[in-house]
Amino acid sequence: MAPALFYLFALLTVASAVGVVANKNAVNAAMSFLLCLVGVAGLFVQLDAYLLAFLLLLVYAGAVVALFLFIIMLLDTQGRQNWGFKKFSTFTSLVALGLLLTGLGTFVARGQLDAPNPNAAGGVGAALKPYAYQLFTTYLLPVQVMGFLLLIAMLGVIVLSKRIDGPEDAK
Amino acid sequence: MTPVCIALLTVLAPLVSATVIALCLRRAGTLAAAISVTAAVIVAAGAFTLAIGGARFEASMTWLRLGSFALSLGFKFDDLAALMLVIVGIVGLCVHVFSLGYMHDDAAKARYFGGLSVFMFSMLGIVFAGNLFMMFIFWELVGFSSWLLINHWHEKQSASDASKKAFITNRVGDFGFLLGIILCYWTNGTVNLSELAAGHHVYSTLIPLLLFCGAVGKSAQLPLQVWLPDAMEGPTPVSALIHAATMVAAGIYMLCRINVLMVPQALTVIMWIGTATALYAALCAIAQRDIKKILAYSTLSQLGYMVAAFGLGSKMIPISDTVVDAAGQTAVSHWAMLGAATGVGAAMFHLTTHAFFKALLFLGSGSVIHGCHHEQDIFKMGGLSSRMKLTFATFTIGVAAIIGLPFLAGFFSKDAILYLAYVNNKAVFAILAFTAILTALYMTRLWRITFFGEPRSDSAAHAHEGGLTLTLPLVVLAALAVLAGYTGIYPKVFGGVFDLIPEAHGADHLVILLTSLFVLLVGAGTAFLFYPPAATDALEQKSPGLFRLLASKLWFDEIYTYYIDKVQQRFALLLSFLEQILLAGVIIRGLAGLVGLVGLGARALQVGRINVYVYWFFAGVVILWLFATGVF
Amino acid sequence: MITATLNEYVILSVVLFAIGFFGVLLRKNTLVIFMSLELMLVASTLGLVAFSRYNHTLDGNVFVFFILTVAAAEVAVGLAIIVALFRKRHTIQVDELNSLKN
Repeated sequence: MAPALFYLFALLTVASAVGVVANKNAVNAAMSFLLCLVGVAGLFVQLDAYLLAFLLLLVYAGAVVALFLFIIMLLDTQGRQNWGFKKFSTFTSLVALGLLLTGLGTFVARGQLDAPNPNAAGGVGAALKPYAYQLFTTYLLPVQVMGFLLLIAMLGVIVLSKRIDGPEDAK
Repeated sequence: MTPVCIALLTVLAPLVSATVIALCLRRAGTLAAAISVTAAVIVAAGAFTLAIGGARFEASMTWLRLGSFALSLGFKFDDLAALMLVIVGIVGLCVHVFSLGYMHDDAAKARYFGGLSVFMFSMLGIVFAGNLFMMFIFWELVGFSSWLLINHWHEKQSASDASKKAFITNRVGDFGFLLGIILCYWTNGTVNLSELAAGHHVYSTLIPLLLFCGAVGKSAQLPLQVWLPDAMEGPTPVSALIHAATMVAAGIYMLCRINVLMVPQALTVIMWIGTATALYAALCAIAQRDIKKILAYSTLSQLGYMVAAFGLGSKMIPISDTVVDAAGQTAVSHWAMLGAATGVGAAMFHLTTHAFFKALLFLGSGSVIHGCHHEQDIFKMGGLSSRMKLTFATFTIGVAAIIGLPFLAGFFSKDAILYLAYVNNKAVFAILAFTAILTALYMTRLWRITFFGEPRSDSAAHAHEGGLTLTLPLVVLAALAVLAGYTGIYPKVFGGVFDLIPEAHGADHLVILLTSLFVLLVGAGTAFLFYPPAATDALEQKSPGLFRLLASKLWFDEIYTYYIDKVQQRFALLLSFLEQILLAGVIIRGLAGLVGLVGLGARALQVGRINVYVYWFFAGVVILWLFATGVF
Repeated sequence: MITATLNEYVILSVVLFAIGFFGVLLRKNTLVIFMSLELMLVASTLGLVAFSRYNHTLDGNVFVFFILTVAAAEVAVGLAIIVALFRKRHTIQVDELNSLKN
């Protein structure tokens, strides 16, 4: 059962990721992104990181993608892009694709990581208490820094969204 | 004030004067003259205080340190330096005072006096120099100030050419000088004059000969003597100061300083070059028309005497019996020690007397030129003995001194040289005696044609004496020309030099006395009888072939001009061509073009589109990946 | 069916990352580029959690916290910039935002 779920969610994730990139309409792309996040959340559940799965859905899918949608609606005037296949970007993309496949192939053929049987030891990320414990002892400094970062981001956004010209644009 | 302080003040006063004149007083000629003369007074006062006061010291400070090589600037003030300092001080002051009158109407007075101050500073630097590098620095500075002063009337093409010729010829000599200094430093590890010592190694002959090259250039010995007659294009006080008394004597002074490095072979070469120069210059002087050129060749000849005297000191001579009081061994070593030093004594003695009477002669000729309204051809003068009495009197004293009239200065110093030659090398003695005949001949010719007979031009007919500034230095120098030969009147403070003068004894004394009287009478008598004060040269009339040979100066100038035009100029053009194409073209502009191309390429990358920039990120990641997988 | 070992998760993470990268390269709409950027971040979180799981540590999971926080802050600020840019230039196609050209 578990492997099938893995492949299901993996397929979902990859397909919607391709959808994000390939969609002409920006709103469609945002929706695909949402689906992709659902897939990744499922994969997290597979990895016994339940808290993270929910966090992903709450923060990412709930807040970030929503924000994206707001801005797309606000700004995207024509909502249509023409896929002009320029020679240079096509060529480079094909080269990149080739390299990627080479890398993956090399990895599959030779670079196998030996990992222990996941079921031998219990899932580590299942409970909330260890997370909290880690956050408040080993990772206390990064938590404080994150707080500071969020403060700065908030200030930055406020400053950036001020209209410099004054209230004339409001008319 | 300590002696070092006084020495510093003496050296720096002319520099301050020159700086002030150069920066502020370009147009104010009179004020510049006053400042320059003040500096000369300070120099003279400092010179007397230091020399007579008896302070002898050495002081130095490190100026430049590169790893283990240290260049220091320092003073070495011993008896030799004291003597030279007094000479420079007295003659400098006389020339400065004379210039006040002579250059009174000149348009560029400030530049002239600034140049004089620069020269005084540089010359004092040479006098005080404690090591060879410092001497070389001031050597070049003296060459520069000589260029500046010869070039004073730079509107005249001949003056510019003469100044360039002087500088370049000096440069050729200085090249050898520099090589000598470097070689000396390399073998001895030091160029400090107090620490030098002649060792016995493979370069022990080469070093003094290379250092002598500097003297060949600066003191105008053969083959680099071509610049001194042309240097007469400068104002007459300049000729008196620089090209008669002090700068050209710097070569002799330098030789005396490096006396410890001399070896007999080098001294022989020096002696022969000096003798040849003396003879050559005396021969050339007979056929000259310009009063200053005659005096210039006379200077050349006397410099040859000094160099020959220095070179003659290579053999030992017996000194007076009272000194040799021990058994044979100590006597021999005492002689050996004084062997080379007698050359120093004789050369410096003649340098001292020559400085005074040659400066007197030049300033006298300056007074004559000034009185005849800048006429310099002696065949257009005449009858000046009654019109310019003071100049005539002092000039006569100068002429008498140079031809060796007994009891005047030149008599004693020339006798010392002749005695040294008589003892060491009879051939040189014969040549020097013959040259003394020629000296008497051309000087008497000059004296007679310039001052006697009827005035041969209007300017001579209306000649008049100059003012006090022109005559006072003449009187002072005339007194010195009379008195400078009596070594007894010099204070004991110059003992370090004057003790070394060879004095004849016994039979030798009589031989030398008779020889000098003989040459004097023969030379002066011949000239007096042969050259009437006429408008044309008697020799030219009576034997034109001989006259042409003498006037040709042995075609030195022509040979050098040919070499420069045909050989050196072509080489220089080739080098210039190479430099344009190769250095300036390929390398410099090529490099600049390369940088420009790189810039062009880099600019082409800035397309302004984010996608393209991300592609470049990707390329960077690929390269990193290639590194990581070990492809590179 | 093959059990999903670490290798499969890593391959998946790489594929997702590559897709996001292609999105950044190929799309012209600034907002879609931004979304692809977020896709790359998500791919990296997936990798982190997988490693953390198979190594029996909690560090990877905790680190994902921080990544989420940073991503959120970055999105906020980035979108604010894009909005300000749109107000000035009235376009969000990167082709036309090329005033740094040459």
